[in-house]
Amino acid sequence: MNAIVLPDRLDVAPVAPSKPILSVEDLTVRFGSVVAIDSLNFTVCSGEFVSLLGPSGCGKSTLLKTIARLVKPAGGRITRPRAELRTGFMFQKPLLLPWRTALDNVLLPLEIERGRSTVGSVDRGNALRMLDLVQLSEFAQSYPHQLSGGMQQRVALARALICDPEVLLLDEPFGALDELTRDVLNEEMIRIWQSKETRLSTVLMVTHSIPEAVTMSDRVIVLSTRPARLLEDVTVPCRRPRVPEDAETGAIIRRIRAMVRSGR
Amino acid sequence: MISRTATPLAFGLLLLIAWQALVMIGHIPEYLLPAPIAILAAMDRSLLLQFTVTFIEALAGFLIASALAFVVATLFVRFHTLEDGLFPIAIAIKTTPIVAIAPLLVIWLGTGWWSKIVAAILICFFPVLVNTVKGLKAADGEYHELFDTLGASRAQEFGKLRIPYCLPYLFSALKISSSLAVVGAIVGEFVGATQGLGYLIIVSSAHLETATLFSAILAAALAGIAMFYAISFAERRLIFWSSGEAG
Repeated sequence: MNAIVLPDRLDVAPVAPSKPILSVEDLTVRFGSVVAIDSLNFTVCSGEFVSLLGPSGCGKSTLLKTIARLVKPAGGRITRPRAELRTGFMFQKPLLLPWRTALDNVLLPLEIERGRSTVGSVDRGNALRMLDLVQLSEFAQSYPHQLSGGMQQRVALARALICDPEVLLLDEPFGALDELTRDVLNEEMIRIWQSKETRLSTVLMVTHSIPEAVTMSDRVIVLSTRPARLLEDVTVPCRRPRVPEDAETGAIIRRIRAMVRSGR
Repeated sequence: MISRTATPLAFGLLLLIAWQALVMIGHIPEYLLPAPIAILAAMDRSLLLQFTVTFIEALAGFLIASALAFVVATLFVRFHTLEDGLFPIAIAIKTTPIVAIAPLLVIWLGTGWWSKIVAAILICFFPVLVNTVKGLKAADGEYHELFDTLGASRAQEFGKLRIPYCLPYLFSALKISSSLAVVGAIVGEFVGATQGLGYLIIVSSAHLETATLFSAILAAALAGIAMFYAISFAERRLIFWSSGEAG
């Protein structure tokens, strides 16, 4: 697994690849009598961008929430080789607090972690840097209702990055946006993942769009309909930046599409 | 903006003139329908005194009820068993008309301030309680998941999410209960009092002093309107992010 090191990632990879950062082992999740996830296994390595691909309602969001410790597994476990692994979570909705400015929304995780009184000018500077990273520094003092849906989701991304996570868990982060905005934000996401401005090394993203998964990820983990089981773990060796129209990228998209159609 | 205040003012003035003319031309006796000028003449210092008494009773009842309802709502949301056990009882008390309870309050608390304040409390408490409980639970489940991923304590979730989220709901209830508070105080005064607008209404109607009666009715309306607009003003200053009516 993960035998291919992408040339364009060699100079930016902050940690040597192939080092597991998160492992899902024999994971089973049940809601009452409904089995959402059925003994699932996979490993995410440091430096990877991995997509969890599956049809709507297959349990992929549940999987991400289990990794984020929002849902308790019924069986199996999720191991993090380093106990103090910082993770950030991003939801499909921006979930900004409407009474806070963009800047204060970005500061929320710090306030919760350490108490409001400890948040000082250094943190404000950091929050502004995060807003700058998502290209929203001019809107630091704007309130959510003054921002478009795409801009709100950028603020949510800045908020997920403020605690300097190594791993970012994305639950269909731009799924509620229009296609044009989504494409732009997907490119931004790749740029931020590759940039050295943060400690962020690894991204695990839930999506139900095959082209999105293939153009963005190093690996695509294809899940079945519920209960979610692993159909296949596809490595995408194509050079970045990719578009779905590339011959190589397109071939992988078609292969996965055929697999999803027949493999349930 | 000008026409929005000027138009109703102009129509109001027109109605008053018509009223005055009707009384004068029709020779309607004052005990039946006093003319606007006669009502104006009845608005004297003593009316202001009675107004102040009722206003203070209503305001005190409103403030105590709102604070109490907020605390109880917080406990309800924090401890579900409390809500399950007490909410039906609260609804039962709420549906009992305040007019039916007022005589009991006078027996228990006398004819002084407290029977009126408690009547105002009883009538204000439930709208605030119901809406605050609703508001404290109104945040989308995903907001709570967000706070969980950030490792927020229950107190942080209340302070940073539930309470601000609840404010639009709270204020809709406060606007309703602010005018209800005046009703509560006046009903209390009807049953047994030696001062206040309710007392003035009872006494002036018994003596057929209809101009005084009208002035008292007007003052009661003004008390309600004053409270309502004070709350609306505070609401607009405080809740800039929510334009719609909540609750």
